[in-house]
Amino acid sequence: MRTLILIAAVLGLGAAFIADAADDAAAEALVKKSGCLNCHSVDKKKAAPSYKDTAAKYKGKPDGEAKIVKHLTTNPTIKFDGKDEPHDSLKTKNEADVKNVANWILTR
Amino acid sequence: MLRLFARSNPSADRPRWRIFLGLAGVAALFLGVAALLVVGGAAGLAWTNTEKFCIGCHEMRDNVYAEYKGTIHDVNRTGVRAICSDCHVPREPAALIKRKMRASLELWGHIRGVVDTKEKFEAHRTQLAHNVWRRMKETDSLECRNCHKRESMDPDKQGPKAKARHEKGLADGKTCIDCHFGIAHKEPAGPSPEELFGVAKTAAAAQ
Repeated sequence: MRTLILIAAVLGLGAAFIADAADDAAAEALVKKSGCLNCHSVDKKKAAPSYKDTAAKYKGKPDGEAKIVKHLTTNPTIKFDGKDEPHDSLKTKNEADVKNVANWILTR
Repeated sequence: MLRLFARSNPSADRPRWRIFLGLAGVAALFLGVAALLVVGGAAGLAWTNTEKFCIGCHEMRDNVYAEYKGTIHDVNRTGVRAICSDCHVPREPAALIKRKMRASLELWGHIRGVVDTKEKFEAHRTQLAHNVWRRMKETDSLECRNCHKRESMDPDKQGPKAKARHEKGLADGKTCIDCHFGIAHKEPAGPSPEELFGVAKTAAAAQ
């Protein structure tokens, strides 16, 4: 019985790990497809804040995910070189995919 | 009189012709060998610039080439591709030979198996990327500019965001790789080209 529980736990952990990796890959692909990396980087200084900086700002906050989702879907006004411009949205209509990207950013 | 006779005598001229023919033969042989070396060398260099050659070793095929597949430089609307050598080998003859000679040292790394597993490649990814970025910074992103000519980039045909960023980047003396890094391969962790090498190294900044 103990062996069965151990096998189930290992399989469960393995499945969770594979699912996480698949989610990460999907988030990265959508971020690339949407042109986000033209201005953002995971950990480097570019025209816009790095995802690590964004994660540090919102990680652990109850509305962190919702704020990032809003930023990625409503074309909020941002500043570049002192001028206002609209922030681009993710190239998807799928809410789950947007949330996946928001969580991917939060875990950088 | 005797001299005149000797000159008009064909049998007396024969040794001179023989020497001349011998020298011409040696010169022709020398030229032939030189031509063969030049043509063979050029063909060899051209062969080492092909995609097939670059992915002949599994280190490139399974890592950087696998990452490049599907990116904008591999697949796009027009079907114009940039293969490995387009981004990593200069086109100018002297710079090309210098790069090839340096690249031949990488064979030693291949023999020693420096990046012959996924883990070893990941351990060296940052250093490998920095080598490319350093060269790009020193040459003002020469290989990018071989296709993306600054003077032919029409800002009015760019999106408003790209236009604003290119204008600011050029005014700040930035070069292509300062912003367009990690576009064909995975981005390594750590500082960006600009954070590593500054912006003053670019030719655009020096002009």
